[in-house]
Amino acid sequence: MSTAAPPQKAAPPRERTGGRLSNGAFALLLTAPGLALFAAIIIYPLLSALFTGFFKQDLRLPGREFVGLENFTYWLDGDFLTILKQTLVFTVGATIVPFVLGFALALALNSGLKGSGFLRGLFLFPWVIPGVVVSFLWMWIFNANYGVLNGILMKAGVIEESISWLGQPTTAMLAVIITKTWASFPWMMVMLLAGLQTVPKELHEAASMDGAGSIRRFFAVTWPQVRGVASIVLLLEFIWNFQHFDTIYVLTGGGPAGSTETFATAVYQTAFKGFDIGRATALGGLWMLLLLVLVVVYLRITERKGDAR
Amino acid sequence: MTSTTSTPLSRTDTLRPATTSAGRTSRRRIRKDLLRSRIAAWIAVVVIGAFGLLPVYWLLATALSSPESTFQFPPKLIPTDLTFSNFTALAENDQLIKYLVNSLIVASITAVLSVVVATYMGYSFSKFRYRGRRSLMHLVLASQMFPQALLLVTLYAVFSSFGLLNTYTALVLSFTTFTMPLCVWMLKGIFDTIPDALLEAASIDGASRWRTLHSIVAPLAAPGMIAAGLFAFVRGWNDFIFAVTLADKEKQTLPPGLVSTYIGEFQTAWPELMAASLVVSVPVVIAFMFLQRYLVGGMTAGSVKS
Amino acid sequence: MTTSGISRRGALRMFGIGALGVAGAGALGACAPSGASTSSNGGDTKSKNFDFTSWSLNEEAAKPSIEKIIAAWEKAEKSKIRAVSYPYNEYLSQLTLKLGGGETTGAVHLDIAWLAAVAQMGKLADLGSVAVDAGYTDVALESGKYDGKQYGLPWNTGSIGVIANAKLLEKAGIKKHPTTVEEFEAALRELKGLGGGVVPYAAATKVAQLKDIFPWMQTFGCELLDGAKVTIGDDASIDAVTWYKKLHDEKLIAADVDRFDARALFGQGKAAFYDDAIIGKGVTAAQSKDKTLADAMQPMKRPVLTAGDTPQALLWGGVIAVVKGKGQDAATEFALHTTTDQATVAQYFAERALPPSTKAGLIDPKVVNDTFSTQWTEKITKTATGSPFWQFAQNAQIEEAVAKQVQAVLVGKSKPKDAMKQAGEEVAALIKR
Repeated sequence: MSTAAPPQKAAPPRERTGGRLSNGAFALLLTAPGLALFAAIIIYPLLSALFTGFFKQDLRLPGREFVGLENFTYWLDGDFLTILKQTLVFTVGATIVPFVLGFALALALNSGLKGSGFLRGLFLFPWVIPGVVVSFLWMWIFNANYGVLNGILMKAGVIEESISWLGQPTTAMLAVIITKTWASFPWMMVMLLAGLQTVPKELHEAASMDGAGSIRRFFAVTWPQVRGVASIVLLLEFIWNFQHFDTIYVLTGGGPAGSTETFATAVYQTAFKGFDIGRATALGGLWMLLLLVLVVVYLRITERKGDAR
Repeated sequence: MTSTTSTPLSRTDTLRPATTSAGRTSRRRIRKDLLRSRIAAWIAVVVIGAFGLLPVYWLLATALSSPESTFQFPPKLIPTDLTFSNFTALAENDQLIKYLVNSLIVASITAVLSVVVATYMGYSFSKFRYRGRRSLMHLVLASQMFPQALLLVTLYAVFSSFGLLNTYTALVLSFTTFTMPLCVWMLKGIFDTIPDALLEAASIDGASRWRTLHSIVAPLAAPGMIAAGLFAFVRGWNDFIFAVTLADKEKQTLPPGLVSTYIGEFQTAWPELMAASLVVSVPVVIAFMFLQRYLVGGMTAGSVKS
Repeated sequence: MTTSGISRRGALRMFGIGALGVAGAGALGACAPSGASTSSNGGDTKSKNFDFTSWSLNEEAAKPSIEKIIAAWEKAEKSKIRAVSYPYNEYLSQLTLKLGGGETTGAVHLDIAWLAAVAQMGKLADLGSVAVDAGYTDVALESGKYDGKQYGLPWNTGSIGVIANAKLLEKAGIKKHPTTVEEFEAALRELKGLGGGVVPYAAATKVAQLKDIFPWMQTFGCELLDGAKVTIGDDASIDAVTWYKKLHDEKLIAADVDRFDARALFGQGKAAFYDDAIIGKGVTAAQSKDKTLADAMQPMKRPVLTAGDTPQALLWGGVIAVVKGKGQDAATEFALHTTTDQATVAQYFAERALPPSTKAGLIDPKVVNDTFSTQWTEKITKTATGSPFWQFAQNAQIEEAVAKQVQAVLVGKSKPKDAMKQAGEEVAALIKR
């Protein structure tokens, strides 16, 4: 990750002239507004919610009852692994597919096609159409009985009977991923295109002279230059997809038969459709625990790298 | 290891064929190569373009068709009985304009607030070394993965007790839960690219730390700040669950507004929904076409390492 | 740069302590958000101004009719009604949250299926004294009751039943409406034989409306709830689901269908039967190219297992409830006026085809002259019953639990017997919670 910025950068203005504050205090002062906001609207609500995970509580009724780990075991004995698996399938799928498409398109637009500036602008459409509308649009396209996708496929003779895209477990997950892909590949394309444009032309020319084919040139010249951007878009998209809600909620509501349920939809449905705040927050807690493990592992790895240097 | 201060690249320079002092054979080879990559490029553009733009076309086609023809199967790929009634109906719907205005206001304030707060925080993370810095940074990054539905329950209660429900403030603050971390993280990346030498020089010239930040660093990071703001804007613009819960009809934004207007108890008004979505998206698309160079420049400046 | 490691660990420790502190604070504070129901909202019950919450207030199709009623009231009473609405699919969650937080006051529009869930929160006023002489039909009054108290004034009372397309039936050579399940199945096969992508029965197969299977379970003899005992999982329920699966596999019903889809299919003349509320006729006919379709739509008695059984149908409708406290009196008056004033009721029926709940309303010429409506009342509403699960606050979860299991059967993930056994257990657990 490129943000794990060079740690041993020549230490910034440590001994300062002027200012009455020490550097540390100044740095802390800078973070103060952010931290205050962070604590008030993220950390506090989160901890307060997580605490609820130990209670049996109905969203509609006052009062609650301490039940220990019951809410947690409910998930662990039940759907936790299934939901985890589906969350990962969705997250990975909806990160990789738009990345590949976005990258391919960026490469193409970077090769000097006419009108690529205009095209680039046009492709922003899917990105700024409000997310729920995107989901409804695709719901409309995928509709088993009057959707345009089935219409086209039938006309082309690919299928004989309508396929119920959102009604079967495998195609439903696919449909959800495709929809999310459509909404997010444009911004990945824009970012990657920008990365590609920083690749000096001379490098390509030189590599061409040396007789490198286009694939070799890609790996020798292009990839090292865009690796930074690529890792940023991948990481961000991964993070966003992990807690993504709208697309799945609108398109399948987690169905059919729970086959597209992810953490985000399960927490929401349990809390707001089932009114079971205790169980919802317990699932949220498990999810956070999992994240914590990931972060610690990540820190371990980056720390070791740091030591090696 | 020096970081580049690459100026944001934004123009779509065309890659001209290499015509330097190369031999004839290699030139021919290059030309053939170029042709091949051109063809590949066209195929990619056409295939991915179809995927990207056909749904937009379908959105438009649906928006232009009458309710009776919407449910035909097989659907007519090119609508024959075009009607603009779905669009003209929008002009009379002042509630929709209210939603649009709310969306623009809330998303913009969110963007500005997030960027301001994140600038200080990101600068601190980037240019100072202190205990807990890295943990904080990662906490901020990871907080983007926190379940929104979980925050919602408590935020609702908090806003309610402060009497903030149904206000722009509630929406802005709740959107900030996911935009601020992103902005901090992006801006830290931007500040990393600003050489420390510049700060040192400023300090030698006698500039205070505040002055250094405000008049030397901030202008350099401006494209990045705009980019972060644009991302924050889009995220706020898209939000559904916070908006539906924390605001009523008067202060509601587009996503819940569109849903409650067109996805009803008894019917889904597809053509009207599509027409409305299209109309409200157009101004933002146009704005982004102009601003995309910042989007690109700001975002990559922090990440393109040399 | 090993120091960073140390400092980080130190910081983590610090953060841990801080987090504990915040968690403590959270524990204290958490009572406030969740148990914020201290508010009896203490407002002025005599206020002339009040809120009216209804999902219909935002929907394009319904908004004008309701706004008219509101405007008339405001003018006559010189008061102000604040309109509040949420999208239909989020309505119950949003209302619940806001009622709990003391945010919702005044009159509240409720689907009768939600009444119990909302009434249990203890915030609704008992309208028994108002309702008693207002001229509502017995069925209607019953639909606004929970736990013996009149929490809702019935606004529209109808039912969900089967609608048939007479033209398609004729085309397939079916002379009369099938009356038994056996006849019904035979009719579906005939219809399938017409070809052209006909879905004979556009039954609900998406979770959102799979609760439509309850009347079929009842048709097969499953009572759903016998006293306090959940009977889902008994042989009758398994038979019903097995039958549904058979229809599904033979493509006599289609996958991925909800009410919207069913109407679209029916509107195109691609479905011969589907389940809908009485209002469905107008909606379906409006989105059909075939302008004669409306005349071909007929309400049909749900087929029964053995001739002579009582046809099953689900009661359906809306009530207006009133929240205790601010604006309560005026809101009650408004609710009463909206649901019983003859002119208002008749006009509302004319515009939205939602059947009135008063005896006088039902014999209004505007209603009586609508043969579809009168037939509907005769064939379907007459034997309609509410779902035994409505009395539970967990109704939505119960319906979803069953729907998910049925869906698992339809997509082949589970066997009818196992699925119904599990559904029964889940429902029993939900009722106990």
